[in-house]
Amino acid sequence: MLELHNVSRSFSDHQVLEDVSFTVPGGALTGFVGANGAGKTTTMRIIMGLLAPNTGTVTLNGIELSSDTRPNFGYMPEERGLYPKQPVIDQLVYLGQLHGLGRTTARSRAMELLSRFGLENRAKAKLESLSLGNQQRVQVAASLLHEPDVLILDEPFSGLDPIAVDAMSSILRDYASRGVPVLFSSHQLDLLDVLVDHLVIIQNGKILADSSADDLRASQASRHRISLGSDAGWLRNEPGVSVLDISGPDALVNFDSETTAQRILARAMERGPVTEFSIYRPSLADVYREIIR
Amino acid sequence: MNTTTPAWLIVTLREVETKLRDKAFVITTIGTLVVIIGSIVVSSILGSRSTEFSVTATDESSYQVLTQVQKDKPDDVSLRIAQSTEQEARQQLGDGDLDAMLSSSNDGQAYSLTGFDEVDDQLRQLVADGVDTILTDQVLSSAGLDAASLPSADALKVSQLQGDADRNSMVKAMGFLFSFLFYMATLLFGMPIANSVIEEKQNRVVEILASTIRLRQLLTGKIVGNVILAMIQLLVFLSVGLLAAYLSPLEIPFLGVVSQVAGWFAVFFFGGFLVLAGIWAALGSLATRTEDLQQSSGPVVTVLIAVLFIGLYAKDGFLVAASYVPIASSVAMPIRLLSGEVALWEPILSLVILLAACWAVLLFAEKIYRRAVMHTGGSLTLRKALKLEV
Repeated sequence: MLELHNVSRSFSDHQVLEDVSFTVPGGALTGFVGANGAGKTTTMRIIMGLLAPNTGTVTLNGIELSSDTRPNFGYMPEERGLYPKQPVIDQLVYLGQLHGLGRTTARSRAMELLSRFGLENRAKAKLESLSLGNQQRVQVAASLLHEPDVLILDEPFSGLDPIAVDAMSSILRDYASRGVPVLFSSHQLDLLDVLVDHLVIIQNGKILADSSADDLRASQASRHRISLGSDAGWLRNEPGVSVLDISGPDALVNFDSETTAQRILARAMERGPVTEFSIYRPSLADVYREIIR
Repeated sequence: MNTTTPAWLIVTLREVETKLRDKAFVITTIGTLVVIIGSIVVSSILGSRSTEFSVTATDESSYQVLTQVQKDKPDDVSLRIAQSTEQEARQQLGDGDLDAMLSSSNDGQAYSLTGFDEVDDQLRQLVADGVDTILTDQVLSSAGLDAASLPSADALKVSQLQGDADRNSMVKAMGFLFSFLFYMATLLFGMPIANSVIEEKQNRVVEILASTIRLRQLLTGKIVGNVILAMIQLLVFLSVGLLAAYLSPLEIPFLGVVSQVAGWFAVFFFGGFLVLAGIWAALGSLATRTEDLQQSSGPVVTVLIAVLFIGLYAKDGFLVAASYVPIASSVAMPIRLLSGEVALWEPILSLVILLAACWAVLLFAEKIYRRAVMHTGGSLTLRKALKLEV
């Protein structure tokens, strides 16, 4: 389990992170969302030790991270970077060696990852001759070479085609199922909805949410969708009910308690047929929009 | 999972490997080797070839003078003499078959040496000496004296307490070679350090590298790799050059001294190169794009050119001073050692100063590098870089 404790960081006068604390549980995929400039990249760089926090600490399984205890992290930076003029396989082997792999192990791991991304035929090509999407896949492969104990990925899905998104998702799930804490940022909320188990939301350098995806959805789950046989306008006058949306016989409402919900259901059935009375399950996109509002 | 290969060594190996695959590098190295061997071969051919003159006399007393010249000439000059009419001689001179013709006035007291468009200085001197001898002999014999009884010109032997002409020209030639090798290597291997730093910064590979190994290891690997390449290239150049000189049929003077000083040069080269490597790395990390380097490398290149000129032209007090200034000392001290008038403590003191400078510069360069290389957006000045927080 990777944890940040009260991490703050400022650049000259600009406070980028303020008292940031959150948890990246092992064995789960953690999504990291926030607007551009919210502090995601700075946070990830601090986790990777590329930046030092002004205050606060980062711990892995309770042990504070330092350059000696951070050797086996897999990292994919926001600004992609590899050697454009070097053959793909050569640079993967080089990076693998820097991570402490032997040359042959590094080579076989690299080939394995490349074939997983369908790039085994391009191994000897120079990186710059690959399409941007394929370069991105190589970049992902670079972060996975040494079978990391922690994965920190800044926008791993940006620029990938649907097939590569599937490959990437399955790789991330793989790592998570081995118990590896995986933190990745993304702007693709639909993707997060089906992928993540845990969500961290950051805005203006402050953490707004840090909990499991189910809990987050549940926190917004007091909403009910109601469909009646006739106009639903009378719901506006009921105590304990706040109407979010009404169009003709359909309404989206918030009840202040379960008792109110049951009372309204009884009233509705007195007035006529009730075709739908259900708890509305919000998507993470809904939750995100609600929270940052 | 565990290998004992330290990270800097992996970086070093990559630097060396990349460079050895670089065609431009391989071609320059081979080209320089060819030039070194070629120049030694050419100079030994030139050195062993004797000068040849062909002179015709147009009358009897002129022929007498030429016979005298033939007798007195040094061994490395061969002289063909003949006698013919003036008209024939002029004809041959015009055809380029003759170097000069010699005629005398009727009384045999004045001579004129005629060339086609010029008369070789050495030939003129030889003939002038011959005329002198003949005329003096005539005067002496008319006075009843024998030329051999006169005191000879060899009665006075001239020597110098300090150095000699041959040695000075050797010092000059080797000084040129040392300066040029140093200049070339510091550009050929120094600039790539900066470029490789910029490449990693520009492509953001450095972010991945920095999250994998310490930046100090990365920098160390880079510098060590290029130092190894530069030293190997230098040692190959020096040993091939010296070997060719040993093998050449021509007897090259001072080979012993030169070999000894070449060893000193390698040591001073190493120190000077390390200082520059640190500077190049720092410059690279301050830049954002390769283009920035052209601007920021200006002062360094100026220093290198200044060192080249010190090696070529510096003398006396200035050379002595330069032999204690790091970077300049890499060239100046070996040149002083060539002249053989330097006490042993001098190169050692200079080396200590150089290594101290190395240590300071590398430490400072690492400080700059660590701060600047992760910085994105715009190239940095030294002052700005030092203010950056890590």
